[in-house]
Amino acid sequence: MIDLTALDASGGLIDPRIYTDEDVYQLELERVFGRSWLFLAHDSQLPKRGDFVQTYMGEDPVLVVRQRDGSVKAFLNQCRHRGMRICRADEGTAKTFTCSYHGWAYDLEGNLINVPEEGRAYRNEIDKSKWGALKVPRIAVYKGIIFGTWSADVPEIEEYLGEMTYYLDAVLDAYEGGIELVPGPMKWVIDCNWKFAAEQFASDMYHAPISHPSALIAMTDDPAGQAAFSLQAQFSPGRQFAGNGHGSGSFWLPEFGPDFQFGPEASAWQTGKREEVFARIGEERAHKVYGHNTVFPNFSWLGPPRSLRVWHPRGPGQVEVWAWVYIPKTAPEEVKEDYRKMSAFTFSPAGVFETDDGENWTEVQTVLRGWMARANSFNAQMGLGHEERDTHGLPGLSNDVFSETAARGFYQRWKDLMTGRTWAEIAELDAARRAAEEVPSA
Amino acid sequence: MTAATAQSALRTTDPVLQHRVEQFLYAEAELLDDHRYTEWITLFAEDARYWIPTRSTRTIRERDKEISARGEGAHVDDDHTMLCGRVRRITSGLQWSEEPPSRTRRLLTNIRITELDGGELAVRTNFWVYRSRLERHEDWFVGERSDVLRPAGPDAAYPYLIADRKIVLEQTTILAPSISIFL
Repeated sequence: MIDLTALDASGGLIDPRIYTDEDVYQLELERVFGRSWLFLAHDSQLPKRGDFVQTYMGEDPVLVVRQRDGSVKAFLNQCRHRGMRICRADEGTAKTFTCSYHGWAYDLEGNLINVPEEGRAYRNEIDKSKWGALKVPRIAVYKGIIFGTWSADVPEIEEYLGEMTYYLDAVLDAYEGGIELVPGPMKWVIDCNWKFAAEQFASDMYHAPISHPSALIAMTDDPAGQAAFSLQAQFSPGRQFAGNGHGSGSFWLPEFGPDFQFGPEASAWQTGKREEVFARIGEERAHKVYGHNTVFPNFSWLGPPRSLRVWHPRGPGQVEVWAWVYIPKTAPEEVKEDYRKMSAFTFSPAGVFETDDGENWTEVQTVLRGWMARANSFNAQMGLGHEERDTHGLPGLSNDVFSETAARGFYQRWKDLMTGRTWAEIAELDAARRAAEEVPSA
Repeated sequence: MTAATAQSALRTTDPVLQHRVEQFLYAEAELLDDHRYTEWITLFAEDARYWIPTRSTRTIRERDKEISARGEGAHVDDDHTMLCGRVRRITSGLQWSEEPPSRTRRLLTNIRITELDGGELAVRTNFWVYRSRLERHEDWFVGERSDVLRPAGPDAAYPYLIADRKIVLEQTTILAPSISIFL
């Protein structure tokens, strides 16, 4: 395997073999996905007790279940007897989960409650309390978002998110009642490494004017509107945030509310809500924080397109995208309809933006079949050395929106975990890096 | 002789009508396979909806929830304006997922027609759309289309307008990097 300690994440050099190496991938499942906080579900997917969704933590199938007391628990979707998937529906409502191989049955918490022929087959000698489904030991619900981790020592979710809470809250707190996910996620596969997608959503506004001009052509027949990206790139200020491996980037809005992307209902509604939004998240944040976002390692969302997604890894060369439309819970139905339609139009697998992202990533992955193509570093040095801290009204480390500060942070956190550092060691490293930082700050 | 009932899967359709509808759908498929998108879009009525709901694996008991309902998740949920936007995009030379363009071949079968009140037709079609892209990439999209066809005026180049299209794919997780073509 490649020498992970030699990777130069902070210098912005990427060894392309981290996208293709099977050994690296297997280690990622254990050291990155096995030790980070992962998005499991949103509260709105599990409105009543017994409601469940099956999701993945890396490649591990996990059942996330609303309990009788209203809490959420999660456990590995694998029968402890011989490893069959206990539940094979994507979602639904259940009282118990019974394995269809030999019939071991589990309750909503994953406890083993019934073993067929327990007397004859096991002589009543099996201790069912020891053979429950493997429980996700830590669940954290952050403003409706349900995170889970296998790690005993990863910091609490608020500390893990760190300054990213400011950027995540911009979405979750903007409107009374928070968000809800539209039922029926879009799922599709792209033949590329998961990090291309997760990192791009943390750190890459730079591609937008080049990869996506056709999206603007689809969205409007007005030439002025179609030029929006190139005009933004030339004239709009914007910043990219990086912290704890997470990232967020936005062009600053000239005016919060009116948005030609949406139908008149949504545009008018959010404009009418302007004062409420300013009161809830602050006028400055409403204008400066929305854009593209990733919580390390694989949970992302976009502001106005209202797309929220998880990048499930499927081997070094494939990612499975699960994307939902997220909408303000208390918006009127006709406004929700506007948001739903525009989110599908832009960022579904048929979306006028989305299809061109996948085209980039599959090409990169295909080229990396070549040994020469893998033998030289990729460049993630945009804006290197031009970071600032706590400036422009934004908390944390930031840079121009056209930079790769968040990419460097993403790969630094990835390297920290992949080289086997404990979370305590990572906290020490982060403190030392911060102390040594020579960055202008407000 | 078995009589078709409202509940029966069996339809007895006038062969001339069947022929006319089939030839219309074949012509539409030809326009798409030949990348004649600006001509293709003229087949849609101004009030048309083009819809691909998402789908999930459910138990038999909850199978009524398998295909997302209106107001739920959709890969595409376009009105006529949005569909025109997609045509502008795919013909722009700037849609990198279709530039260079994919090669497609459409097979349409099992075309079933139900005559609706007011002269419109409800037409269900099974389809198999093959896409070959760039050097080696290939996808296939398999599913059923439910169209509402509206008779066009006597001077129209094509006998029908597509007034509504619902596309149900068999895959819940789309095993393709994108749906960058029309179905």
